[in-house]
Amino acid sequence: MNYFQLFGLEEKFNLDTERLAQVYQKLQRSVHPDRFAHASSQEQMLAVQKSSMINDAYQSLKNPLKRAEYMLTIRGTEMPNEQASFKDNMFLMRQMELREMLAEVKFADDIDAAIFEATQVLEIEFEGLFKSMQTQLAENTEEANQLASENLRKLKFYQKLHLELDRLEDLLFET
Amino acid sequence: MAYSEKVIDHYENPRNVGSLDKNDPQVATGMVGAPACGDVMKLQLKITDEGIIEDAKFKTYGCGSAIASSSLVTEWVKGKSIEEAAEIKNTAIAEELALPPVKIHCSILAEDAIKAALEDYQSKQDS
Repeated sequence: MNYFQLFGLEEKFNLDTERLAQVYQKLQRSVHPDRFAHASSQEQMLAVQKSSMINDAYQSLKNPLKRAEYMLTIRGTEMPNEQASFKDNMFLMRQMELREMLAEVKFADDIDAAIFEATQVLEIEFEGLFKSMQTQLAENTEEANQLASENLRKLKFYQKLHLELDRLEDLLFET
Repeated sequence: MAYSEKVIDHYENPRNVGSLDKNDPQVATGMVGAPACGDVMKLQLKITDEGIIEDAKFKTYGCGSAIASSSLVTEWVKGKSIEEAAEIKNTAIAEELALPPVKIHCSILAEDAIKAALEDYQSKQDS
């Protein structure tokens, strides 16, 4: 049983996250330790295992990038090792520029404006890649899945840039 | 996680940070990135007509181990021939910097950056 089936949801990227959260609560209640207080130790252990699986499933489906990764995994799309180096030169050049943009934020005359602008730039580029991945996942052909996997890898770089920006904000507005 | 002294040294005093003119026919540029951590590494080598690396510069956005790995690589490749540089293995980088297992990929990234730069050099030579 895959995670979508566990939650009784259609295997689609655009899922109803509210419903996902509701089903999660319901499933967790069904395996809550209180219900197994008088059960055999084996049943108790099974309930604990089930609970942890429900949790894993929820975490994988809740976050869009993790959900995309999970969908590609169950579709059998060959995905490059997480640790493998990425060599799309144009893309990496852009990443360097974006990193430089973030590094320069603190020298800006108007830091608020610089952060706002950086956030916008990152969001627009993230959205562009995200929308392509969304379409490719819906298409669900071998080729489209391959492209989706490529876009997912790129999106991870943007996720990292977002974290960097958050860190920068914390640092600059600490005082 | 504790960094080794060598990592800290390279991190605090990185060697050869900067850029070379990527349009110079003698300059080879290698760009690599690691999706797992979002690190981006640029390694540039200036190679003489005799195939000797006379200068190396790097620019890395990433964790301390990634910066140390690329900094170390620029020191190692200087004065080496293309063939010698191509033989630098990530295991040697990891060993020199005493990288823990979770940071081995940083040394792989640095090795891949050398390869990418040498490929760029080759394609510049061919064209």
